[in-house]
Amino acid sequence: MILEAIVFYIFSAVVVGAGVGVIAARNPVHSVLFLILAFFTAAGLFILMGAEFLAFILVIVYVGAVAVLFLFVVMMLDIDFERLRSGFVRYLPVGAGVGLLLLVELVLIFGTWEVAPKRLSSVPVYARARLTNTRALGDILYTRYVFAFEMAGLILLVAMIGAIILTLRHRTEVRRQRIAAQLARTPKESVEVVKVPIGEGA
Amino acid sequence: MAHEALPVLAPAAPEMFLAAAAMALLIFGVTRPNGSARLISWLAAFALVLALLGEFALGGERRVGYYGMFVTDSFSLFMKTLVLLGSALTIVMGLKYNEDRGIARFEFPVLILLAATGMMVMVSANDLIILFVGLELQNVALYVVASFEREGVRSPEAGLKYFVLSALSSGLLLYGISLIYGFTGTTSFAALATLAAGTAAPGIGLIIGIVFVVVGLAFKVSAVPFHMWTPDVYEGAPTPVTAFFSVAPKLAAFALFVRFMIVPFAPFLSEWRQIIVFLSIASMALGAVAGIAQENIKRLMAYSAIGHVGYALIGLAAGTEEGIRGVLVYLSIYFLMTLGAFAVILSMRRNGRMVEGINDLAGLSRTQPALALALAIFMFSLAGIPPTAGFFGKLYVFLAAINANLVGLAVVGVLTSVVASFYYVRIVKIAYFDEPAAPFDRPIAAELKGVLIVTALLTLFFFVHPGPLIGGAKAAAASLFLR
Amino acid sequence: MALAPLALAVVFLPLAASAIAGLFARAIGDRGAQLVTCGAVIVSAAISIPLLREIVLSGGPHVVTIAQWMAVGRLDIAWSLRLDTLSGIMMATVTIVSATIHVYSIGYMAEDPSIPRFMSYLSLFTFFMLSLVTANNLVQLFFGWEGVGLLSYLLIGFWHERDSANAAAIKAFVVNRVGDFGFALGIFAVFLLFGSVNLPTIFAKAPEVAHSTIDFLGWQAPSLTLASILLFIGAMGKSAQIGLHTWLPDAMEGPTPVSALIHAATMVTAGVFMVVRLSPLFEYAPGALGLVAVVGGTTAIFAATIGMAQNDIKRVIAYSTCSQLGYMFFAAGVSAFAAGMFHLFTHAFFKALLFLGSGSVIHALGGEQDMRRMGGLWNKIPITYAMMWIGSLSLAGIPFFSGYYSKDAILAAAWASGTGVGRYAFSLGLFTAFMTAFYSWRLLFMTFHGRPRAGEDVMHHVHESPWVMLIPVFVLAAGATFAGYFMEKYFIGSESAAFWNGSIFVLPGHNTVAAARHVPLYIGLLPTFFALAGIAVAFVGYILQPELPARLAFRFRALYLLVLNKFYFDEAYDRLFVRSAFVMGDGLWKSGDGTVIDGLGPDGISAATRDLARQASRLQSGYVYHYAFVMLIGVVGLVTWYLVR
Repeated sequence: MILEAIVFYIFSAVVVGAGVGVIAARNPVHSVLFLILAFFTAAGLFILMGAEFLAFILVIVYVGAVAVLFLFVVMMLDIDFERLRSGFVRYLPVGAGVGLLLLVELVLIFGTWEVAPKRLSSVPVYARARLTNTRALGDILYTRYVFAFEMAGLILLVAMIGAIILTLRHRTEVRRQRIAAQLARTPKESVEVVKVPIGEGA
Repeated sequence: MAHEALPVLAPAAPEMFLAAAAMALLIFGVTRPNGSARLISWLAAFALVLALLGEFALGGERRVGYYGMFVTDSFSLFMKTLVLLGSALTIVMGLKYNEDRGIARFEFPVLILLAATGMMVMVSANDLIILFVGLELQNVALYVVASFEREGVRSPEAGLKYFVLSALSSGLLLYGISLIYGFTGTTSFAALATLAAGTAAPGIGLIIGIVFVVVGLAFKVSAVPFHMWTPDVYEGAPTPVTAFFSVAPKLAAFALFVRFMIVPFAPFLSEWRQIIVFLSIASMALGAVAGIAQENIKRLMAYSAIGHVGYALIGLAAGTEEGIRGVLVYLSIYFLMTLGAFAVILSMRRNGRMVEGINDLAGLSRTQPALALALAIFMFSLAGIPPTAGFFGKLYVFLAAINANLVGLAVVGVLTSVVASFYYVRIVKIAYFDEPAAPFDRPIAAELKGVLIVTALLTLFFFVHPGPLIGGAKAAAASLFLR
Repeated sequence: MALAPLALAVVFLPLAASAIAGLFARAIGDRGAQLVTCGAVIVSAAISIPLLREIVLSGGPHVVTIAQWMAVGRLDIAWSLRLDTLSGIMMATVTIVSATIHVYSIGYMAEDPSIPRFMSYLSLFTFFMLSLVTANNLVQLFFGWEGVGLLSYLLIGFWHERDSANAAAIKAFVVNRVGDFGFALGIFAVFLLFGSVNLPTIFAKAPEVAHSTIDFLGWQAPSLTLASILLFIGAMGKSAQIGLHTWLPDAMEGPTPVSALIHAATMVTAGVFMVVRLSPLFEYAPGALGLVAVVGGTTAIFAATIGMAQNDIKRVIAYSTCSQLGYMFFAAGVSAFAAGMFHLFTHAFFKALLFLGSGSVIHALGGEQDMRRMGGLWNKIPITYAMMWIGSLSLAGIPFFSGYYSKDAILAAAWASGTGVGRYAFSLGLFTAFMTAFYSWRLLFMTFHGRPRAGEDVMHHVHESPWVMLIPVFVLAAGATFAGYFMEKYFIGSESAAFWNGSIFVLPGHNTVAAARHVPLYIGLLPTFFALAGIAVAFVGYILQPELPARLAFRFRALYLLVLNKFYFDEAYDRLFVRSAFVMGDGLWKSGDGTVIDGLGPDGISAATRDLARQASRLQSGYVYHYAFVMLIGVVGLVTWYLVR
């Protein structure tokens, strides 16, 4: 158990450190890398809690897809992050003060937290049933929380529509390869056989 | 393990229909050549009306679906009526505008349909998770429509601002939900209500959880100090979107707000009332004061909306059945006059271009007397001057506040409405007494004309037969207090 | 004959005419307005004479109640007409003089653009005057009192495009407010003492309260005297007695018929009427009576001195009015109420006559009022000249003209009263008689004799007034000549007890009017002698040695300037009250109202609101991170509140 605690504190420290790194790094690429580090350590924390499925999802989706996408975007966009951050130092004291205050308050609140077994009795049903993580999530996601799941699907649909609406442009000035058109071409359309009399080919 | 029983789906039938209709229209639109926006808009409006009919078929009887996560009752019927009507009308009102601006795309009504689906879910949410997904569905759709005029400068900016700030507020909301879950072990409104009924005083953790959720909701209804996005987004978004923003999502968020405060946490009224009173006073004061300095009518409507949210919150602060009835009456009347006011704003076209300055209304009474009259009716109603409907809206919330011993709040309400009446009446003054500016284009689109006439008549003659609205609001409010 | 309908007709005909002329001016036109108002007032005047006869014959006060006015607690006030000899005489005087002046106005105002308004005002004034004189309670009296004050204001300022007219109107109104304040306090005091403001109740209870005292500003004042003095202050304002007289000369800015009607014959005598009407009160307040006599006597000589040095023809007559009102007051002050009323009655005729005559002169000279630019008119406008002679003879108290009877009666009564105050008043009155005659003939000589001092073109256009102006003058001249002779026995002579019929109350020992019939012969002759002396001096100064007055004025320059400038009353008031009021008003306006009330009130709030609005708009910076930060502060604030609460 002591090892578990040591690992927890290491992971926790790294997550927090990486979070600070994300916002403090001067180079945006470094920020994204810090983000990836945070995701990894968070996944480690999930594993510590016995939630392997969440840990893997986190790595696959966030690290494998989202963070890498971020990285591409950041590298392709020419954004002067220095200019964007120009007010950082100026606003730091106020921001830090407010943030610190909020932090202290939240710590105070968590100090009052007590696990009330009676109230929580309905939650770990699936843990007791010795199901795998994946099975348990699937069971509950497609039954009890099916409505929320469907709604999440709708949200993704809207996000997709939105992305298309806001970014898709039919650019007429750009020539594109139209494979279907290419394949559909027949020799008749594209090749004309011309008989050239001898001596007049020049 | 025992498998869950099949969920009860019937109460959510209109929502499912709406989502399906949205997807069907999307496919229909994709397969049609350009220029079918008008047809699809009308079809979308038709779908909204059908969904409304579905709600009426369900009736005001209390039905619970999806393992208690989804509920329909008189309250949801009342609010969904407003939301669906508001969505349908804004689709129709925006037709001409979108065509003029070259943004008449079929995705617009589809997105509104999806947003309306989200709003209906918000209204019916009986669980914190449903609350959140409904809210997000609506939000994501709203981000997109806010930046719908993507070639412009201000519209994408508005959408982006709304997106960033809304994401922040959603984070706060979600954090609150997790606090509530952490301190109670449940996300269900029903379970929370049982818990609250058995608790003498809530722990500080639960209270802070409620505070965070309230902050998230206050953002959605644009209550001060979480209102900052409102003026910029109202001004930047295309006008039909602004009209939509100021009606349907606001009402849906308010419905959610009311249900969240009353159904699970009515016993903690004395605890959360303080936040509501603060939000209410701050909103009324800022709405009244900041509106004075505005020159853009859409921006002015934003401050007006902030102020009106403050008045509606008075009823919520009262926390009684009478107070909730006041909220519902207020919101219905706000719905009427705001739609009307936006119909006027959408009629402000000059030489084929939309204008938005308050001074563009100068001398409207001489160039377009009927439009000026409608404008005057809406402005007097927004200011709360009898006998227009706006007066009665205020009257009901103030009375409720006084009966709930919140005399101070009512007094602040009266004082701020005096201040706010300055900028409403100023618009009337400009329209009636200033030297006429160049006249607006004629004719006004038929859809707008229809909305204008109906809303103006209802606003002006509300006092003749207020019975149905008051009765409906009363039943809706009572259904929340049913144990 | 029934009294009530007649009395109602007399009082309300002018009101009806005023309403018609005022409200339907467009419909009936100038001529219509003149006909309606003149007709109504002439009918009113025609009825008033048989009405007076009827009242005198039937005796005793009759009260015609019209309607309940207000009944609050002990205060019970009705609209009613009190008909007794006193009110009968006043009604007759007012309506007759008013009728002549209405007719005269047709000619005098012929060129004016707003004739209906003028005629309507005149008739309305007549109504208010009649409701004043017929009041059966002090509140209705006050109603009429304020009504005539209002009309006086409107008519002085009738030519409102003239700044001086507006200033004069305002001055008249404001100075009268001072008096009215006293009057109102007097009414309150009366109500406090008697529990009623109805005249019969007051008169009945006057002997009872005569010896009570009242706490006034910490001073145990004899209550009745105090109430009477307060009421008399009201009378001083209305009747332009010394101290509150300054408005009357300025009131001559109004059209001449107005001066004749309001500022000579009727309204200004309301103060005298009020004192006489309240004789049962004053009789039990000897201190107040003494004050009345002293003020009256002082005003008489004071105004006469000023009158001697004035050059404006109307101002001379105005000061003369002031002076004659002084006579009436000191008559009342020595309990010779009947003599005072008699002089009021005759004075109405000869003073109106003088005013209308001077009006004719002004009319003839195309608006010229300065006597230094007149002269030599006697053969150009002989009728007016003759009329002015009649008026002046009557005013100076030359035997067998009306003024002789009344003025002699007053002086004799003052002598006969035997008190110190009476002697004081008598001696002042005697000198006043001299001065009166002097300035009257000075006026006559300067206006009608000597070398014409007006321009050639003006003299060329001098013309006699039209008949519509002359006939009223004849009527008044008849009154000025014969009224005294015919009415003497009723007012103060053998028939007086039956005539007055108790409407004037005099304590048994105070009957100075009766005593006056037994004064030594030389007392009776002295006034006439003084008057003739005055005429003689005027003849020397303005016909024989025209340069003499100038030399005298140069010699006694200080005295002359003092008199010419009306003893600097206006200047003193200006310094004392007007300027300090302006300073105070200015201070209250700029710092009190402007800075404090507006600053903290409407202006301040609206400015603060606008400022707030700007601030609130500035908060809306457009930066997303500002907005997010505000939201976070909101969150922190709310959480903190719940933690530390």
